[in-house]
Amino acid sequence: MRGRLKLSRSAPEEGRVDVDPNAMTSLIEESQDLHRDAMASTVPALTEMVETGQDARAHGLVDPDESRAVAARRSTMMTGAVFGGGLLAAAGIAGALEALFASPAFAASGADVQILQTASSIEVLAVATYKTALTLPFIGGASANPVVKAFATTTMQQHMQHLEAFNAAITGLGGKAQTNPDPVLAQVVQKAVPGLTSPGPVVALALELEQGAAETYVADVAALSDANAKKVTASIMGVEAQHASVLLAVQALLNANAPQLITLAPGNVANLPAAAGSVGFPDAFFPTDQARPASEGALS
Amino acid sequence: MRHRNRTPDVMAISEHELTVMTNDLEQIHQDVGMPAMNRALAEWTEKSRSSRRGFLIGAGAVAGGAVLAACSSGSSSSTTTTAGSGSGSSTAGKLTGDLAVAALAASLENLAVAAYGDVLTAAGAGKLGTVPPAVATFVTTVKGQHTQHAQAWNSAIVAAGHSAITTPDAALVPTVNKAFAKVTDVTGAAKLALTLEDVAAATYQSAIGAVKATSSVKVAASIQPVEMQHAAILNFVLGQYPVPNAFSPTKDARPLTDYTG
Repeated sequence: MRGRLKLSRSAPEEGRVDVDPNAMTSLIEESQDLHRDAMASTVPALTEMVETGQDARAHGLVDPDESRAVAARRSTMMTGAVFGGGLLAAAGIAGALEALFASPAFAASGADVQILQTASSIEVLAVATYKTALTLPFIGGASANPVVKAFATTTMQQHMQHLEAFNAAITGLGGKAQTNPDPVLAQVVQKAVPGLTSPGPVVALALELEQGAAETYVADVAALSDANAKKVTASIMGVEAQHASVLLAVQALLNANAPQLITLAPGNVANLPAAAGSVGFPDAFFPTDQARPASEGALS
Repeated sequence: MRHRNRTPDVMAISEHELTVMTNDLEQIHQDVGMPAMNRALAEWTEKSRSSRRGFLIGAGAVAGGAVLAACSSGSSSSTTTTAGSGSGSSTAGKLTGDLAVAALAASLENLAVAAYGDVLTAAGAGKLGTVPPAVATFVTTVKGQHTQHAQAWNSAIVAAGHSAITTPDAALVPTVNKAFAKVTDVTGAAKLALTLEDVAAATYQSAIGAVKATSSVKVAASIQPVEMQHAAILNFVLGQYPVPNAFSPTKDARPLTDYTG
């Protein structure tokens, strides 16, 4: 199910799965090799952005009017963006942030920087959430499913890299790096923490964050004016969507009382139920109705 | 590694629950994903009607092609169409600007639809051995989503007064056909599908930086993550780590010359 949905079924306790740790390590190493290849396309965009930003600052090219225009475009994109029945919906923050978005001082700080700072704030929160989750015995401890544990560990590292990339983009544009979590989402996570007593709620919370992050970045690429900021964001949005996809599949298997099927063991696909083949990509077109407001995590 | 056999009783319940969940998701897709896409396409179409050049402002084929070609591995070709045709959206029968990118995207989607269709045909003929239920669902669902993607791109092209792109990417067809001829089982089919999904996602990611109209960006951005999700599940099916990159690469992006020739 999507992050916004809540199921009436309670998630079962996760079962143990026999997975070769060496094979898992090998897969992660292979993944990291691929990651280095992927970074090859992101680093040049960041480098170019830094150089362009330095040049712009040196020549006073930051245009407050343009910043306001971009902010307005992003604001328009958020119009009608009402969260569903999930945890994020409980925040009820659209109205309060609308006023903040309209602040002249806010707009003057650069719309692209605001968007990127909000992205960084989401990444900060994601890192903290996965870090917390990994302290739980059923996620990062001895009783954890090895695949879930590896996913949480690797995903946390990937979010750390996203944070570094977004902050590099921010400083490249002359802004200040954001190292604090999204203030609204942080409250949502904080409220959820006491209920994280089994894998189900943890997966649901992570899914909500991943879906929100992916939708935010999908909206951002259409709102950002800086070409390199757009490239960096575009290289991250699909990765968050993949995180959500994996979590959707894991959630479905947990809810189906089949945690033993959460494994990368060869041949496991033969044991998966038919619906597992489609639960990971619920939309033919990725939505943006859960995208966070552009200024939500921006520094004033 | 070893895996456990599933328990029939448990999975009988799971199947039902998961089917219900899938139906819920399909409903959400209709409620959420499509309206967002329709808004972007409507915006694009409106621009087209008000000004055919709306698609093309500052978006010559060379600009798009250069970006796409630069991001494509193994492609040394450059676009042969020219920027600034000025009068409209086609040059020598070929679309230009954002519409050329749309045409390339539609041809990739057509290729994916055809490839998944071939997989279904081969599976039906028993040429792939035993096909797990999850794989059958995956192929059917993904084929449907790629069909919708092709329709989305073509709706923009048709709205601009041109014929829909109904053929697959001609530059890739020989390679895909050759690869498919060697497929003898589900694993081989999944690997080929993963390649196609990676290429599509990379191409859309490059397109985001190549197209000029915001509505074009929105369309590409709404599809790229979905192709990435297809790839994640394929990796899971193949027993590979499902999210191999912290940053999605563009090295497999197809050049605009796939369309322009």
